[in-house]
Amino acid sequence: MKFVDEFRDADLGRAVATEIVSLVQSISRPPRHFKLMEVCGGHTHSIYKYGIDDLLPANVELVHGPGCPVCVIPMGRVDDGIAIAHTDGVIFTCFGDMMRVPGSEGSLLDAKAAGADIRMVYSPLDALRIAKQNPDREVVFFAIGFETTAPSTALTLKRARTEGLRNFSVMCSHVTIVPPLRALLESPDLRLDGFIGPGHVSTVVGARPFQFIPADYRKPVVIAGFEPLDILQAIEMILRQLATGRCEVENQYKRVVPYEGNLRALEVMAEVFELRPHFEWRGLGFISHSGLKLSDAYADLDTEVRFSVPGVRVADPKACQCGEVLKGVIKPWECKVFGTACTPERPIGTCMVSSEGACAAYYNFGRFAREREVV
Amino acid sequence: MSGAPASGAETGVSGEACGSQHCITCGDDGVSMTVVRVDAVRALALCADDDGQRETVEVALVDPVAPGDRLLVHAGTALAHLEPTP
Repeated sequence: MKFVDEFRDADLGRAVATEIVSLVQSISRPPRHFKLMEVCGGHTHSIYKYGIDDLLPANVELVHGPGCPVCVIPMGRVDDGIAIAHTDGVIFTCFGDMMRVPGSEGSLLDAKAAGADIRMVYSPLDALRIAKQNPDREVVFFAIGFETTAPSTALTLKRARTEGLRNFSVMCSHVTIVPPLRALLESPDLRLDGFIGPGHVSTVVGARPFQFIPADYRKPVVIAGFEPLDILQAIEMILRQLATGRCEVENQYKRVVPYEGNLRALEVMAEVFELRPHFEWRGLGFISHSGLKLSDAYADLDTEVRFSVPGVRVADPKACQCGEVLKGVIKPWECKVFGTACTPERPIGTCMVSSEGACAAYYNFGRFAREREVV
Repeated sequence: MSGAPASGAETGVSGEACGSQHCITCGDDGVSMTVVRVDAVRALALCADDDGQRETVEVALVDPVAPGDRLLVHAGTALAHLEPTP
């Protein structure tokens, strides 16, 4: 299959891995440990699916970033959704993974079992279709995700406006990728040497928003695709920057990501959304200007304007260490409940819910204990 | 015309059970799809993923598109062409 098979070639993978080993040897005198963060949950999933970390030298560590859209939703936000879903006359719609995220008193799936009309959709367009089919009901779409899904929500809101739908609204929980990266770079807990940049977010925002990382923090960034060779090559490119003293944003994923992003997507997002002053991230706390809300022009389609939303802040369960995992401070298997009380079937923390979550990736691909065998 | 697959969805299966490389249960997975039919007036296209599953896709951000084009789709919206349009 074009654009897939050639990026899974085992011989090429071994050749890039060999190049990585020699690069690391050339810059590890004196011995040095490299921490590279893959920002996107899709990368985390691919790394463990294909065993990419097993091809790396022991002193190259991959740290998993906050780029899983489900994992960063705080419990209070889930509780808000459940409260709206229980409102008379409401059909509450959301993506499948979101239904399994635990709130303080159960998940949306539990609320559905208790009688709330909660429906899984694959896109906001599906939610809009449900609204058209049920003109006597209020249809709410629980919008989550980074700049990859935000354009879809924005276009759907424009379509709802054009078609004059009055029984459709969006509970906007979209987030943006740059503010949490800046927060992580400011964190004293974590020392990173470089970033594997998010491939699909960059199709929308382009490479420019990541320029502050080399400019302000002197860390290389390589935007990467999601096939094994993409990720290996991105690691090689980061290490080569470190070896040659360069520090810049490079684009390994040029076959999909244009430097300037998708300008039409950015335009429609600017029209429909505006930044919230603060937004709470699971495990990371409140981060300024990191969440999106509907702009004043679309306030009539804003669930939080149309309904009374409790907006209560709920602390994470004490046993759950998703916050430390999301910040890359601990590995999933170091969490006390990983693989025992917390599994993909019965998740306690968000990182175990989505297949892009670091805990689910470790669990599903058999990383129950230590990071890897010492070679 | 939505064509959203129903199997597995209501049971909350994880991405691992879906049989394809990317599970669209989580709307944030990028899926590569091929355009089958275009409704240019409404900026929609019927697209098929690599397993043959069909879905209506918003193409306003990448148009013009034509049957046979390969698109990167997130949450029912095409974000990029995967190959240059002939």
